[in-house]
Amino acid sequence: MPSTQGLLRVQQVTKQFASASGEVLEILKGVDLDLERGESVAILGPSGCGKSTLLNLIGTLDRPTSGSIQLAGRDLAPLDDLALAALRNREIGFIFQMHHLLPHLTVLENVLIPTMPLSDAKIREAAVQRARPLLERVGLGSRIDEKPGTLSGGERQRAAVVRALINQPALLLADEPTGALDRASSETLTQLLLQLNREESLGMIVVTHSIDLARKMSRVIELRDGRVIPAQVA
Amino acid sequence: MNSLRLIRQSLFHYWRWHLGVLLGGALGTAVLVGALIVGDSVRGSLREQAYARLARVTHAVIGNDRFVREDLARLTSAKAGVPVEPAVILPGVAVRADGTARANRIQVLGVRPAFFSLSPDGKAIGPELDDEVWFNQSLAVQLNAKTGDTVVLRIAKPSLLSRDAPLSPADDTAVALRLKISRVLDDQSFGRFSFQASQIPPLNAFVKLSLLQNRAGVTNQANILVAMAEGRGTNLAEALRAEFRPADAGLRLLTTVTHETELRSSRVFIDPPIAELVRKSGLPAKPILTYFANEMRVGTNTTPYSMATAINTAPVPVGLKDDEIILNQWTADDLHAKAGDPLTIAYYVVGPMRQLVEQKSDFRVHSIIPMTGPGADRDLMPDFPGMSGAENCRDWDTGFPIKTDAIRDKDEAYWKQYRGTPKAFVNLATGQRMWGNRFGDLTAFRFEAPLAEVEQKLSSQLDPTLLGLAFVDVRAQATAASTQGLDFGQYFIGFSFFLIGSALLLMGLLLRFGLEQRRTEMGVLLALGWKSKSVRNLLLREGTILGVIGALVGALSGWLYAKAMLLGLSTVWSEAVAAQTISLHVEPASVISGAISGVVLTFLVTFWSVRKAASRPARELLQETGETDLPAKQSKRRWLLPAWVCLTGLGALAQGLSEFMGGKGADPETFFGAGGSLLLCGIAAIAWILRSTSAGKHSSTPTLWSLSWRGIARRRGRSQAVVALIACGVFLIASLGVFRLDAARDADVRTSGTGGFQLVGESALPVIQDLDSAGGREAFNLNAGTLTNVSIVHLRLREGDDASCLNLNRAQRPRLLGVNPNELARRGSFSIAETHSKTTNSPWVLLDQSLPNGDIPVIGDANSIQYALGSSVGGTIPYPDEHGRTVQLRIVGSVANSILQGGLIMSERNFTTLFPTESGYRFFLVDVAGTATIPSRLTDVSTHLAKGLQDLGLEITLAVARLNAFNAVQNTYLGTFQLLGGLGLILGTLGLGVVVMRHVLERRGELGVLQAIGFEQRSLRALVLGEHALLLVMGLVVGIASAGLAVMPVVLAPGGKPPGLSLWLTLLAVAAFGIGSAWLATRYALRGSVVEALREE
Repeated sequence: MPSTQGLLRVQQVTKQFASASGEVLEILKGVDLDLERGESVAILGPSGCGKSTLLNLIGTLDRPTSGSIQLAGRDLAPLDDLALAALRNREIGFIFQMHHLLPHLTVLENVLIPTMPLSDAKIREAAVQRARPLLERVGLGSRIDEKPGTLSGGERQRAAVVRALINQPALLLADEPTGALDRASSETLTQLLLQLNREESLGMIVVTHSIDLARKMSRVIELRDGRVIPAQVA
Repeated sequence: MNSLRLIRQSLFHYWRWHLGVLLGGALGTAVLVGALIVGDSVRGSLREQAYARLARVTHAVIGNDRFVREDLARLTSAKAGVPVEPAVILPGVAVRADGTARANRIQVLGVRPAFFSLSPDGKAIGPELDDEVWFNQSLAVQLNAKTGDTVVLRIAKPSLLSRDAPLSPADDTAVALRLKISRVLDDQSFGRFSFQASQIPPLNAFVKLSLLQNRAGVTNQANILVAMAEGRGTNLAEALRAEFRPADAGLRLLTTVTHETELRSSRVFIDPPIAELVRKSGLPAKPILTYFANEMRVGTNTTPYSMATAINTAPVPVGLKDDEIILNQWTADDLHAKAGDPLTIAYYVVGPMRQLVEQKSDFRVHSIIPMTGPGADRDLMPDFPGMSGAENCRDWDTGFPIKTDAIRDKDEAYWKQYRGTPKAFVNLATGQRMWGNRFGDLTAFRFEAPLAEVEQKLSSQLDPTLLGLAFVDVRAQATAASTQGLDFGQYFIGFSFFLIGSALLLMGLLLRFGLEQRRTEMGVLLALGWKSKSVRNLLLREGTILGVIGALVGALSGWLYAKAMLLGLSTVWSEAVAAQTISLHVEPASVISGAISGVVLTFLVTFWSVRKAASRPARELLQETGETDLPAKQSKRRWLLPAWVCLTGLGALAQGLSEFMGGKGADPETFFGAGGSLLLCGIAAIAWILRSTSAGKHSSTPTLWSLSWRGIARRRGRSQAVVALIACGVFLIASLGVFRLDAARDADVRTSGTGGFQLVGESALPVIQDLDSAGGREAFNLNAGTLTNVSIVHLRLREGDDASCLNLNRAQRPRLLGVNPNELARRGSFSIAETHSKTTNSPWVLLDQSLPNGDIPVIGDANSIQYALGSSVGGTIPYPDEHGRTVQLRIVGSVANSILQGGLIMSERNFTTLFPTESGYRFFLVDVAGTATIPSRLTDVSTHLAKGLQDLGLEITLAVARLNAFNAVQNTYLGTFQLLGGLGLILGTLGLGVVVMRHVLERRGELGVLQAIGFEQRSLRALVLGEHALLLVMGLVVGIASAGLAVMPVVLAPGGKPPGLSLWLTLLAVAAFGIGSAWLATRYALRGSVVEALREE
């Protein structure tokens, strides 16, 4: 059962960038977004509307110009880079459009990369124990010792999903997770994400251009000109 | 999973990049370690040479012109319990019997076979026949002599009384020995024996000790004691002190006709330290000074050539006034003098250049004493050489002309009857004022005590160190000289700077490029919650492992680089080491320190690369595109600096050209400045063009050429950096030629390095005459016509370590020159580079100033001071004087790059005070006027002087040639730097290939588009290669043009030559390697289909 406690609260978040000519570009213009545990949200919008920027802000890879972001009731603004890195490591899982697996490591090793910054050896050991069933669950049980170069695109992305989940995060962020996959692989990955969302009681935000994928999320929002508008996905 | 595994996997996965990084680190370290090994090799070779010249000799008493009993060696040895050997070393000249070859400035050693037991091979066999001589190899080579050949050795005969003293015999200064060479000694058999630290082997001739003693007039005496006393130097000093007797100090005790005990010196004048010792000995002593008077005159009556004594006891009464004189009866009769008559006494004093300066003093006759008792005391006359043993006055052999016709029969009769009995007496203070000189102001002491008691008392108090006779730790000096000498390791690190820098630059570029390729990896790690510090540490550890492996590989292969450098030092760069062989020596400490330095350097490069790469935020790293193209930032003031530089450069050029056109000659510094300005202007101009292209908004029909040009302008910063690096490298290497020293430039100008002198002479034996005077020239049969308008500056010389750049050892006791400072000041010779204190007069005058604490002012060549002595202007050098007292030589000035390299110069006055018995002049600066109009004149004068003074071993060299010999060292260093710098630049151009690869891989997408729209692979390669070839050419053109301007003075100088072939070949190699590496990189980067990059995007 999904928890009813608020997982993420984004309030009046803006993000501005200075162009090379000195002009200020406001990419996000007061975005509000709430997310509960077990809830999944798809963010749609045209290129350049600020989808990835918003995801980066939520994922603590960047800081908002104004507004606040709270994760599990904790305001992220006062946290320094080290605290944010620790938070990202424990609470947030990332899935990118490109899998970004390290080519020189095996699938299992790639999956275990997020456990390395953990200081507690027991937790790290537990993660190792968790990795194999997770990989089996996504259909990679027989390929854990393979290098990414020998996997198909879908398999690589599934490995990336397991890597995102290995530290049992509360929030899963996916930026165009199926963007580089064929239809079949895309479908398989979508089902996997939904299943994990349900079973692991994860909050999940997916940035996508895919209406099909968006429809499968519990909620869909659309970003246009830096603002959230009601989504038209019917 | 742990970080070590992650690193290991990464190292293997990216092995191609890592191999490049590793090789870069290895090369840098190999060069570093190799350079240090060169230093080891030079030091090791000097150490070997130091051992070869001293072997088992650890301590030595070096008496120079002081001789001790030969038996003192045996007695000291027995007392100290260590082997001590006596020897005689004298300077000399060797000539083949057929006269076809000669060697000046050799050292003739009289030794016993046991002397050779201290040699490296330890075989106690030596010359034992009276007609045999053993040569060392250097001397044999110089004379082209072999075993069985006959040679003539001319040696300086030791003089107990300085040759400078007027009473010293002028003749009988040298003796010739006709000998047969029976053996040629190698280094193992003491062929290199010498006390002077130099890598240049001495010219040694060994003869039987007794032969040299007898022929030199020092029978049973020695001026050298060598000892083998490992760690027992104190024993030696104590033993020498215990066995030292008055005879070893040249003192003699005798009982006089008045039954007193008299102390005399075989050097005529009692050394002041000995006089001081006697005064403090507690023995009641009467000091006496007896001198030679040329004439005594009362009215018109004269008495020639008489002894006069200054004494404060009988016959001189207490209270004798300074202007009163006592005559003996014979003299009073001869002069018809009576008490109260005025009397004038004439005598010679020691003048400069051994000039006979006759002085006169006026007295009033106090009284007449009878020819008995003190009035007939013939023992008051000291043992004047050439006089004491003469039967007749006409047989006197004095150092000044005797007017024999002035000697009357009655004078001969007096000599026969009374010998040197003084004819006149004054009080001691007056006598010392008149006749005291640098050798002393007493000729005897008389004691009431019996001889045995005096001898015992004096022996117990006599300290050999008072006369500078002490066992010196020559091994420690040799070790210091070889270890503190020029550090070739540091030199070669400097010479190899470009190579090391290029290797590390290449390593850094490869590392950076490799990290660029892995930026998404870093982004992922950051996104997954890794701290940026952790990511940085991970990469740093990875890089460090590569650095360590590279450094280890480099350390192990550094000897290869060292071997190559030593090959250079034995061939093309041999002038840097005075053509001496340097053998490979490897010190583990150098390899370890080189390896550690390599690790540190590679770590710093890694740190720099990683820090920059890992400092970017994750979102940037995860973006697929590389850097964003940014439009040029415009600043209104951006041209101020380049414009100022260009204007300054133009000004400098205009000044240089106007000076040159005005016949002043091209000033190297002006042109170098102008060249440097042109370099900066060129780089600024290219930056401006690139900026204009980048900012340009007008469209045109694109061509491959315009695409290339736009490509360069697009990565403006990188392109500018490539051009600037190549241009600066080329400029630096090519323009170094301007710093090549040429002694011929302005050689006739007195402020130049030649001092305006055309010839430099150095003799083996001292010249005691003034070669500028008619008398001096006559003494050597020098033709006045040939020497018309020839003037000579005479310098005294105290032998010591060569402190010129030709000596790789650190000079411990540099040779000293004594000059009359006014001679150089009057001429305005040489340029003073720096002085310790400001002076409005000529800096040479500083040599005559009095310094606090009794420091002695000296001036030296700037290079000698800095490199050979490791000191600076204002610094002091402790130096023992002739009496063993250590004085501080304070460097009050330095001379810029001159023929005076090799020693320190002090005033003649100070020189003779410190070394009173050092006779005559041995160093000569010859000014030959009119050589410009009659070029053959220089040869005529040179040949004439060398021939006239050949028995004194005078060696004449052209001042320009001497200076060029010194300059050759610096020029060789420049050549070495140019060559190694060129290699570094070539290596650096490989970095261009890395830049190409980085550039292409960043642009794979757009190149894919070009291919997709129909460009052939060949065209893409031409596009990329064209871009980078253009950068290379721009760098070369700017660098060569700037360097061309900078070296203009060298090219324009009379006899100047354009840069040599090697430089052009280097530049050609730079261009070829640059284009070759860019081509290879282009091929590699554009392999396969770049269209695939489009799919990735």
